[in-house]
Amino acid sequence: MGRLALVARLVARDLRNRPAEAVLLLLAITAAATSLTLGLVLHGVTSGPYQRTSAATAGPDIVADVGPGPNPNQHAVPANLTPLTKTPGVTASSGPFPVLGLTLHANGYTVPAMAEGRDPAPSAVDRPLLTAGSWVKPGSVVLERSFASALGVRPGQTITLNGRGYLVSGIAVSAALPPYPLVCAVGCDFVASEPPGQPGLIWMTRTDLLALPGARADASWYLNLRLSDPASAGAYANAYDSTHPNWSAPSLTSWQYIASAAGRGVSTEQEVLLIGSSLLGLLAIASVAVLAGGRMAGQVRRVGLLKAAGATPGLVALVLLAEHLLVAVVAAGLGLVFGWLAAPLLASPGAGLLGSADPASLTLQNAGLVVVVALAVALLATVVPAIRGARTSTVSALDNAARAPKRRALVTKLSRRMPVSLLLGMRIAARRPRRTVLGLASVTVTVAGVVTVLMAHARFDTRAASSGTLPNPVNNDVIQVTTVITIALIVLAAVNALLLTYATVLDARRPSALSRALGATAGQVSAGLAAAQMLPALAGAIIGTPLGFLLYASIKHGSTMTYPPVWWLACVVLGTPLVVGALTVIPSRVASRAEIAPVLQSGAA
Amino acid sequence: MTLLSARALHKNYGRGEALVRAVDEVDLEVETGETVAIMGPSGCGKSTLLHLLGGLDRPDSGTISLAGKHVDKLGERGLARLRREAVGFVFQSFHLMDELTTVENVELPALLAGRSPRAARRRALELLSRTGLSDRAKFLPSALSGGQRQRVAVARALANDPLVVLADEPTGNLDSSATLEVLRLFDDLHEAGQTLVIVTHDSRIAATADRMITMRDGSFVDETWLSGGTMGSLSKLAGLEG
Amino acid sequence: MQQEVILAMLAKEPSHGYELRARLRAALGPVGEDLNAGQVYVTLTRLEKAGLVAGTAEPGQTRPDRKVYELTPAGQQRVAAWLAEVSWPKPDLTEFHLKLIAAFAGRLADPLAIVDAQRRELLRRLRDAQRAALGEPDDSDAALLLEGIVLRLQADLRWLEACERTWTNRRSRS
Repeated sequence: MGRLALVARLVARDLRNRPAEAVLLLLAITAAATSLTLGLVLHGVTSGPYQRTSAATAGPDIVADVGPGPNPNQHAVPANLTPLTKTPGVTASSGPFPVLGLTLHANGYTVPAMAEGRDPAPSAVDRPLLTAGSWVKPGSVVLERSFASALGVRPGQTITLNGRGYLVSGIAVSAALPPYPLVCAVGCDFVASEPPGQPGLIWMTRTDLLALPGARADASWYLNLRLSDPASAGAYANAYDSTHPNWSAPSLTSWQYIASAAGRGVSTEQEVLLIGSSLLGLLAIASVAVLAGGRMAGQVRRVGLLKAAGATPGLVALVLLAEHLLVAVVAAGLGLVFGWLAAPLLASPGAGLLGSADPASLTLQNAGLVVVVALAVALLATVVPAIRGARTSTVSALDNAARAPKRRALVTKLSRRMPVSLLLGMRIAARRPRRTVLGLASVTVTVAGVVTVLMAHARFDTRAASSGTLPNPVNNDVIQVTTVITIALIVLAAVNALLLTYATVLDARRPSALSRALGATAGQVSAGLAAAQMLPALAGAIIGTPLGFLLYASIKHGSTMTYPPVWWLACVVLGTPLVVGALTVIPSRVASRAEIAPVLQSGAA
Repeated sequence: MTLLSARALHKNYGRGEALVRAVDEVDLEVETGETVAIMGPSGCGKSTLLHLLGGLDRPDSGTISLAGKHVDKLGERGLARLRREAVGFVFQSFHLMDELTTVENVELPALLAGRSPRAARRRALELLSRTGLSDRAKFLPSALSGGQRQRVAVARALANDPLVVLADEPTGNLDSSATLEVLRLFDDLHEAGQTLVIVTHDSRIAATADRMITMRDGSFVDETWLSGGTMGSLSKLAGLEG
Repeated sequence: MQQEVILAMLAKEPSHGYELRARLRAALGPVGEDLNAGQVYVTLTRLEKAGLVAGTAEPGQTRPDRKVYELTPAGQQRVAAWLAEVSWPKPDLTEFHLKLIAAFAGRLADPLAIVDAQRRELLRRLRDAQRAALGEPDDSDAALLLEGIVLRLQADLRWLEACERTWTNRRSRS
């Protein structure tokens, strides 16, 4: 018991003496924990919204439709759908409902719409759930939710369909068809005269629909079915379709197919989120590594002090471990809270589906995982200095001969031909190659992430532009998510850059002072310190950009790669080192103007 | 001809109760080609004085002029230029870069002064041969003895042909045979006409000087001309005569 | 040696023989334990004969330890010359040590000035010996001998520095 008290006391004193480093470690592990939590929670969220919608709207297991034939006088025959309701395994049905393609004017947009004629009374299967307003009445229509949000239409407004005015009485979601803009994944029949772009789903009364000119001739008819065995819907639909190829026969679509179509909008988001949060996690771990490495020299010395004061190597290791684990546990807790709070802001699984970041998805399992990862990271950061300190003789630990830098012949030779600032920068960077590589890796990860995210952004933007005047809500979501991730990546990378600069400047105090004593100006030394960060940043940007292309190619689902213009790439590659340089300006300047004599007096030979 | 001159130098550290007058009203004149030794107990301020003379630190008051130019008024860049061109510093703990070879260490001031790599390398090799270290050109400092390291440091101080070489306890970290090495080097430099100001507590090093100044509590208390003066016979020193 | 020391000790004031002996022993500490009592009195008698001191016997006494001695003008001159002398080497340090003490006690001269003068002289000699040593080939016999001389001078110089420190403190205290 006495030992524990002793350890606790030593840990408390240590944390009090060096609060800044403890706080930095806390921040880094918190960032890692937050991004891990976000990834886990969002992963839970983005799977399952279709199921939620379907359960809430009594969604169909099978949607069967008949449409008009290739010749103008081949009209759809709704009677062909009726036998399906008698099929064994069918437990409920609704429809057939007439469906017609219309032109919709609203809020200055002219877009195609797919109208389904329904009864005011709720149906047995597919009861669209109202999220605003009320259901259809004669003269009024209900819009599908993501269509409505893209148009910017609210209940109470008036829209025009094929020239006729209708009141928007409500907004609803349904599982019978994928939400805008993915409706046509299931199948649309459209007349060439209609405006270009993806149609959205609207509901109106059957009577209103059939009263439109040409309705009876051009309408398709939709029948919703419920099965006793929903899982068999996919196989059943495929089997039916393959045995009924005739145009007048019904075409069957299973809920699995609709779900996957609906999910396609979500999956891109999901993937972007996954990649984004992995990158964030990587960066955060890199920061921890930097911090741990920076503390190591200090740790070894403290270990020496503890040993000199009589502590056994075991006790010493225990103290270090306890310190880091304490910080890790607190950081894990903070990360869990932040991740849980932030997830709803990022998650919107398509406006057309029900879902929100479900707090319940932060399961005990996930929370446990985050804590374990945080502890593991802290453990890694401890193990090396603890072992090294325990093994090092007390004298040499106190001597604080921080690992003397090794000779780097190539860099030394190359740097001789450079101007002074670059010479200093290259040599300072070469003193601690692991730290330099860490900086390079950090920038590479960030640039790759930003490039991927921006390419996705650009693609969605151009898609929105080309599909006419209506913005794509899925695109908006993706753009929102990607913006957040980009900002988070950049912030974390900036923190990393600052940490690395801090560590480098500290480590390079003696060479800086010596260089100035030998005649380098403070400006040259400060530029050298900045260059030591900027050179790996440049390399990181050069490596990260094609890496970003690769990453993007892996998630784009087969569409063509549109590469951004060259000037844009040049901006990224050149701008990154400049930004890093700007970040390091202040610590470099301060370090380069320190008094020379004290540093040299205290230094070792 | 006076090369280096300091008047009424003051440098204080601390405040109030803890005020330390490291350099207290010091006047110094050094002629071209002269070797001046400054001796005194530790903590008497001699290292501080040397830092002031070498532009590594600024005096609180007083003037320093080197080759006619005022040093105390220089800005940061001017001081850097001074350290580059006019002054060569030798430290007690050598302060060689551990990750550079001997020749790379010696050529560093020349590179920092903007000379071409080739010229810098040539000069460095020249200096190494002058100090008898040519065969150690590619060695790392860790492979050199203390005396050799300090000789490398001296060679480095000469890289840009400075007007004056300032040495702060150059043999402080050396044993007696290494001290001899460095002593010989200083003697050679003196013969070659180099102006030297050496701070030391080693009387052997001081004995190489033309003039020896004793410093105590921040000010000069004694000055001795070592060249000239009574020449005792060596045999008497050896105890051969009665 | 002893002659000059005793002369210097009388510079402060006349004193009895036994007083002189006591002061000497105090100044020498353990080193002076072997000091032969007779030595002092014999020296006093010799000095008297040489006319450097004058002894006055108390009425009814002829023994040296009971006489009161004082310096003659010739003796004073001798003391002054001795204080200014800087020859070296001395077979031991005692003489220099007592010189300082006597100078201080008798207010004859500033011990620090004596130390400084001696230091200066030693430094010059060190320089000469070192020069000569450097001029000889490294392994030669001459170099070895000169090295010995140099090292001894160095050691003596270090002792002189210690003297300087001590006497500076004493002076600032008194």
